[in-house]
Amino acid sequence: MNSISSTDLTRRSFLWRFGGGLGGVALARMLATEGGLTAAALAGTDPAGTGPHFRPRVRRVIQLFMNGGASQMDTFDYKPELDRRHGQKFDPGDGSRVEAATSEPGKVMKSPFPFRQHGQSGRWVSSVFPHLAQRVDDLAFLMSIESRTNVHGPASFLMNTGSLLPGFPSMGAWVSYALGNEADNLPTFVVLPDARGLPYNQRGNFSAGFLPAKHAATIIDAGAAEPIPYLRPPTSAVFVTEPAQADGLELLRRMNQRHRALSPEDTRLEARIQSYELAARMQLAAPETFQLSSETEATRRLYGLDEKVTEDFGRRCLTARRLIERGVRFVQVWSGAGGPSNNWDNHTDIITELPKIATSTDKPIAGLLEDLKARGLLEDTLVVWSTEFGRMPFTQGATGRDHNGGTSIGWMAGAGVKAGVIQGESDPWGWKSLDRTTTYDVHATILHLLGLDHQRLTFRNNGADRRLTDVHGHVIRGILS
Amino acid sequence: MSNPAPIRREPSLPDRLDRWDRRSGAHGMRQAAGCLLVGMMALTLPGRAEADDGLVFFRQRVEPLLQAHCFECHSHASGKMKGGLALDSQSGWREGGEHGPAVIPGNPKDSRLIRAVQRRDPETAMPPKSALSPEDVGVLEAWVQRGAIDPRILPKPAVDPSTSWWALQPLRSKPVPEAGRKHPIDAWLALAGVAQPEPLRGIEGRTILLRRLMIDLHGLIPTPDEVTSFVRAEGAEDEVVAQEVDRLLASPRYGERWARHWLDVVHFAETHGHDQDRPRDNAWPYRDYVIQAFNADKPYARFVQEQVAADALFPDEPGLTPALGFLAAGPWDESSLRDIREDVLDREIGRYLDRDDIVANVMSTFTSVTAHCARCHDHKFDPIPTSDYYALQAVFAGTEKAERWYDLDATDHARRQAWMRLQVALDRRDIDALEAGMTEALKAEQTAWERSVPTRSTAWTVVRPGAWYSEVPVTFAGLGGDQPALPAIEGAQGEKGLKLQDDGSLLAFGAGPATNVYVVAIKAPSPGIAGIRLEVIPDPTLPAKGPGRAENGNFHLTGFEVYARAPGAGGYQPVGLVRPSADFNQDGWDIGKAFDGNPYTGWGIHPEEGKPHVAMFELEAAGSLREGEDVRIVIRQEHGRGHTIGRFRLGFTTEAPPFRVSPIPEAIARALALGPSQRSREERFAVSSQFLNGRIARELAALPEPKKVYAGASLFPANGGQKPLGKPRDVHVLRRGEVLKPLEVAEPGALRCVPGLEARFGKLPTEESRRAALARWLSHPDNPLVWRSMVNRVWHYHFGRGLVETPNDFGRMGSEPAHPELLDWLAVTFRDDLGGSLKRLHRLILTSAAWRQRAAEPASAGHERPLRRRLDAESFRDSVLRITGKLDLTQGGPSVRQFAMSPGIHVTPNVNYAAYDLDSEGASRRSIYRFLFRTLPDPMMDALDSPTGNQSQPIRSESFTALQAFALLNHPFVVGQSQRFAERVETLESTASGQVRRAVELALLRTPQGDEAAEYERHAERYGLVSLCRLLLNSNEFHFID
Repeated sequence: MNSISSTDLTRRSFLWRFGGGLGGVALARMLATEGGLTAAALAGTDPAGTGPHFRPRVRRVIQLFMNGGASQMDTFDYKPELDRRHGQKFDPGDGSRVEAATSEPGKVMKSPFPFRQHGQSGRWVSSVFPHLAQRVDDLAFLMSIESRTNVHGPASFLMNTGSLLPGFPSMGAWVSYALGNEADNLPTFVVLPDARGLPYNQRGNFSAGFLPAKHAATIIDAGAAEPIPYLRPPTSAVFVTEPAQADGLELLRRMNQRHRALSPEDTRLEARIQSYELAARMQLAAPETFQLSSETEATRRLYGLDEKVTEDFGRRCLTARRLIERGVRFVQVWSGAGGPSNNWDNHTDIITELPKIATSTDKPIAGLLEDLKARGLLEDTLVVWSTEFGRMPFTQGATGRDHNGGTSIGWMAGAGVKAGVIQGESDPWGWKSLDRTTTYDVHATILHLLGLDHQRLTFRNNGADRRLTDVHGHVIRGILS
Repeated sequence: MSNPAPIRREPSLPDRLDRWDRRSGAHGMRQAAGCLLVGMMALTLPGRAEADDGLVFFRQRVEPLLQAHCFECHSHASGKMKGGLALDSQSGWREGGEHGPAVIPGNPKDSRLIRAVQRRDPETAMPPKSALSPEDVGVLEAWVQRGAIDPRILPKPAVDPSTSWWALQPLRSKPVPEAGRKHPIDAWLALAGVAQPEPLRGIEGRTILLRRLMIDLHGLIPTPDEVTSFVRAEGAEDEVVAQEVDRLLASPRYGERWARHWLDVVHFAETHGHDQDRPRDNAWPYRDYVIQAFNADKPYARFVQEQVAADALFPDEPGLTPALGFLAAGPWDESSLRDIREDVLDREIGRYLDRDDIVANVMSTFTSVTAHCARCHDHKFDPIPTSDYYALQAVFAGTEKAERWYDLDATDHARRQAWMRLQVALDRRDIDALEAGMTEALKAEQTAWERSVPTRSTAWTVVRPGAWYSEVPVTFAGLGGDQPALPAIEGAQGEKGLKLQDDGSLLAFGAGPATNVYVVAIKAPSPGIAGIRLEVIPDPTLPAKGPGRAENGNFHLTGFEVYARAPGAGGYQPVGLVRPSADFNQDGWDIGKAFDGNPYTGWGIHPEEGKPHVAMFELEAAGSLREGEDVRIVIRQEHGRGHTIGRFRLGFTTEAPPFRVSPIPEAIARALALGPSQRSREERFAVSSQFLNGRIARELAALPEPKKVYAGASLFPANGGQKPLGKPRDVHVLRRGEVLKPLEVAEPGALRCVPGLEARFGKLPTEESRRAALARWLSHPDNPLVWRSMVNRVWHYHFGRGLVETPNDFGRMGSEPAHPELLDWLAVTFRDDLGGSLKRLHRLILTSAAWRQRAAEPASAGHERPLRRRLDAESFRDSVLRITGKLDLTQGGPSVRQFAMSPGIHVTPNVNYAAYDLDSEGASRRSIYRFLFRTLPDPMMDALDSPTGNQSQPIRSESFTALQAFALLNHPFVVGQSQRFAERVETLESTASGQVRRAVELALLRTPQGDEAAEYERHAERYGLVSLCRLLLNSNEFHFID
C-alpha cells in the first residue's frame, strides 16, 4: 500500500497549488483537521475546529465511565453516620419525602466494607479499591455530584450529553467539534465499551447528535480481530486483493478528480476525495494502535493484563493510553454493560456485586495513572472517573442499594487538576448533595481545562444555540491547579 | 446532525433593519420602556405623590446603573439570565433567581443584589469583574431602602405580534407580476431582480434533469432506457418536463420517497430509544399511512388533522388510526414511564419530558415554531410565553405512546373503545367514568342481574385426575382451532413436575419454569354437567405458601380450555366455556383476562396470596359433556417470570348457573340490599364491578382480531406498569420547568401570538377533544405558519435549501425568507388554488425555469437555484439496487429487519448488521421499509447521514468522513451489490469493452469518454469487472446530483 502515501504527497502538492483559489484559512483547516471534512468546514461556515477560547491545560481526555451508578458510600464517600444508624428506618429529619425509583425504601445500611485513610491527603477509601487507594494523592475528588434523575437512561444521557433526552451530542463530540483532530490517521473521539456489551442507551451515549456526523464516536471493540468496523472488506470479497485495493483507490481518485475539474468551485467534491484518503491512512495506522503485543511484559502486568479479572478493562485502559499517545483527543473507557448485572448497578447485593466489578477496574486504573505519569503524559492529559448517579443509604431488598440521583462521586487527575484535594460534600448519609455540584459543572470544568468556555461553545439547532451545559454549569475552580 | 445552515443577516438594508429591530426583543423592550417612561414623566408634575419622585429616581439614577453593569448577564436583551436572574423588569428581581428574590423592598441589608454589589462575599460579588463605585452602591441602597420603586413591566412579547414577526403576518395574496407571461415562480424571482434562469436542455441537459427529477420524486436514479426516452421526447420543452413530472408523481415510488422526508421531520423510528430500546412491532402502519397519504395526494389540511386527531375528527373512519402514529413517532423512556415505581418523582418528570417530545414534534413539524424553547422560561427570542407552552402540554395531558388497538369496521371499533373505556374505569376504580361509560342497556342488564344474584353457594364434586402433564410445549398453542386432536401429548410428557395429593389436588415440585402449560386428563363424572371449577390451594412448600409459584405466591392463569372425546371417538372437540368468575380478582388481572387470547394477561390474586381461591366456568351448552367422556383440561400459565400455579384441584357441578363460591361478599350483599339510589359511591362501584367482572374481557374477545399501531393513545391495553388513565392528567405550568415547582393547572390551548385564532380551547374534558381543538387550530386557513411551513419544506427538498433556510424555525433564531413575496404567494396558492395538493405544488415548482436550471454549489448560489446535493443514504441504497436489477418493489407491511437479532443483556436486543444475509427475503426492498433502530442504527446508513429518529431532522447533513468511506468501500451491502452489478453486466454484454461501457452507462448514465474506457478496461481486466463496479458506486459522480 505504499502507493497511497506517495500519491498522498501528490495530492498535497496539488492542494497547495490549488490553495490560492480556496483561501488560506480554509486550506489550512483542510490540512490541519483531517477528521472528515464537511462541506461547511471547507466553505468556512462550519465553526468547528476554531480552536480553544483560551490557553488549554489539557490536550486530551480519558474518561473512565462506571456504568450503572457506582455506590459512593461504599467506595470513596465515608459515612460514619450510617454505622450509627444501621438498621434504623431512614429519616433525613427534615420531613422530605424518601422514595426510591425501583423499590420500597428499606432500612439504613452501613457500608459492608472497611474504610481507611490513605496517602498524604488522608483520603478515605474502602477496601474495594486497594490499588487505587495508593494513588489518591494524584486525584481531585468531586465528593457530591447531583444528577437530575434516578433512572439510568436519562441519567446516562445527562452525564454524557448534558441532556435528559436522546439526540444530543456527547461530550467527546463537542470536543471534536471545538478542537478538531490532532491525529491525521485516527479518529478524534473513540469509545471503548465493555466487552460484555454497550452501556445503557447503547450508541446513543456517544452520538454526534445534531453536530456534523464526523464528530460521532468511533466505537472500538478492543478485543475483536477488527476493532474498527468496515476497516477492511468482508472476507467474502475475494476480489478485493491488496493491489486491487491500492490501484482501485488510485483509479477512484483519478475518476473523482476528473469529475471535480468540471465544478472546481464546489469544495465538497474535494472533501469527499479526502475522506477516502483519510480512510486509507487510518487503515494503515489502526492495526498498529490496537496491537498491544509491542508493550513490555511489565506494562502489561501494570494494567492487569495477566489476570483474568482485570484483563478486559486493563486492555482497554492500555489501548486508551496508546490512542492518546497517537493524538486521539477524547477516549471513553466503559466499565460494565447495560442491564441489571455485571456492572455498577448493584440492586441485589452490594456485598458480592460491588467488589467484583470494582476489582475488575482497580488495578487497571491505578496502572493507567502510574503509566501516564511515568511517561509524562499526565502533563497534558486529563483522566476523569465518573458514573451516572450514586446509590441510596438504605437497603433495597436485603443488602442492595437503589439508584440515587441526589449525590454521586467522581474524580479527576492530570493536567490542570489540583492533586489530593476534595470538593463538595454530601449530607451525613450520602443521600443528597449539600453543595449541589452538578453534572453540568463537571462538563464545564472539563471543557475549561481544554481551553473552552462552556458558554461560548454553541451550535445552533432547530431554533436554539445548544450547549453541552444547556443553560447551566460553573467551572469547579476548587479542583483546578 | 443537521447541516449548520449559514444564517443570513442583512441588517444593512434599511427596510430589513426596520423589520428586524421591530421584532427583536431587545429593541422592542427598549421601545416599550421608552413609551412608559414618556407616559410616566408626563404625569410627574411637581408636588405629586412621593411615588412619582421614586419613579424619576429610578429612571434617572437606578435604571442606567442596572443597564450599564448588570444587563450584560441578567436581561432578556442579552439573552442571558445567569443564575436565573433577570434585572430588566420588576418581576425579574422580585421572583429572583436560583437563590430567591434579589431585592427585598425596604430592606437593603437582606437584599441579595445589595449584598452582591457591596461585595460581602467573594463568591457572589457583583459585577464579577469590577466593583461599582461607592456612590453607585449608595444609589442602589437608597433605591431599595425607599421601597425599590420600579415601573418596568416586561412587555409580553405577544402584545402585538402580527406587526412584529414576519412568520406571523397574515398570508396576503398578491397578483403574480406579469401574469401569464412567465412561469409564476420565475415571474416573482424576476421581480426580485433575479436574472431569467436558463433551463437545462439538449441531450446532456435532459439527462441531468431527469436524474435530478427522479431523485427528487422517487429517490431513484433513472435507467439508461428512461434517459433515452426522455431525451428523445418531442414537443415543447415545458410540456415534455410537465408530462414527465406527472408520470413520476403518478407512481407509488413518489409516496415512498416523500414519506422518507416526512419521517425525518417527525423523527420516526421503530424502537423506544433510551436505555430500554425495545423494538416496536407495530410502528410501521404509520409509515404506510404516510406513504399512502402522499400517493393519494391527501389535501394538506386533512393530512395535518389526521395525524393530530384522526380519531376525534373522523370517528367514522377508524382505518385512519395509524395516522396517530405521528404522536408516538419519537422516543419513549420505558424505564421512567413503565418500570420504575408509579409514585416517584422520576415518573412525573418522565411524563413532562414525554409530552415535551410530542409538543415539539407537533409544533416543529406543522408550524416551524420552536415552542419547546419555552419550557423553562418565556421563549427568549419569539413571542411564546411558558403559559402557551404548558397550554400545548395540556393538549396532550392524556396522550401516551402505546400500542393502540383499532378496527376497520366503525361499529366494531366503537364497541371496542367503549368496552376498553369501561375496563380502564374498572381498573382505576373510577365510578364516575364507569357510570358514564355504561349504556342504558347495560345498566338495565345490571338491574336484572342484581335481582337474580343467588345467595347460597353451588355444590361441587371433586374429580381425581387420571393423568396429567406439565410443561406441555408451546407448539401446543395451535390446539383448539383446526386441531381438535391432542396428539402432541399422548403419553409423551409423563407426570413430570406435578404430584397427586390425597385430596385429589396436584402439587407442583422441582424447579419451576418461567411459563407452564398443564394438561389434566379426567373422565366426565356424571351426566348433566353445567360447570367446571378450578381451585388453587396454598401449600407450605410453595413460595409465600402459594398457591402460585411466583416469589410472592401469586400466579397468572392465562388460558383455560376444555376438550372432550366420546369413548371410542377419534379426536377431541373443544367444549365452549362462558361467563368465567372468580372469588377474587387482582386489580387488572380479572378472570376474564384468561380468555382474551393474550398470553401475557390473565387471572391473578395479588395481594390475596396465601389463601385458597376458585375460578368457575359455565359450559356454553349445559350437558354438552356426557358421562364417561374423556376430558382434557388445558391450564395455561404463559405470563412468564415463574407466575405458575403451585397446587390446584378440579371439580364439576350439575347445578344451574350462576355459580357461587359462598354467599356473595358481605359488602356487596349489603349494597344490593340497599337499592341503587341509597348506595354510596364505593358501594355503587362494588356492585357494578361485580357485575362487569369478566364481562368486558369476554366482550373484547368476541370482537374480531384488532389491528394494532404504535400511536398516541389514552385507551390501550396496559403495558406492564404503563396503565391507561383514560382521561387527561393535570398539567401544571412549571416554574423554570421544574416538576417540584408547579404553578397553576394549564388549560389546553396553542400560541397566542398567532393573530385571529382562538388560542385557548376551554375546559375540554376528554383527551381526544383537546387534540381535535389543536388540529383545528393548526389546519385553519388563517394559520399562516402551517402553510408557509409546508411550502418551504417542499422548496427545501427540491432546491436543497429552503426559501427560509431553517425549515423547523421561523423564529428569530431562524433565518428570514429569501423571497418573502414568493413564499407567501406559494403558501396562498397551495392553500387556495391548489387545494392543499402537494402533487400540484411539486408540479408548479418543478416546471419553473428556476428549478430546471443547472445546479450550483451551496456557497455561491442564491435561493433561486437548485443546489448540487450528495445522494442521501436511502437514495444511494435504492439506486444501487436499481442498477443491479435487484430492487424489490414490494409495498407496505411490517418493516424488514436487516440485521440478525438475538436477546441482549436486558431489554435491548443485540443486533448484528454484518451478519445479515443479503439474499434473504426483503433484503432488496426499498430503504423506507427497513426497520429503524434508534440506538443501534445501521452503520452504513448512519455513515451516510440517515437520521436515527432521536430529534427532528428537517435538513439532512452531508458529511464526508473516513468511516463513510470505509462503509462505502467495505460494507457487505456495497461489496455484495458490486458483485451483482458485475454479474448483471456480464449477462448483458459479452465483450470486455462492452461490459465496461454498460457498467458506466448504468451507474453514470453516460458512455465512457476519452481515455476513460481504456483505463477502466485495464482495471477490469486486471482485477475483475466487479472491482470497477465497486469503484463506480463509490465515485463522486455517482454520489452527487447536479
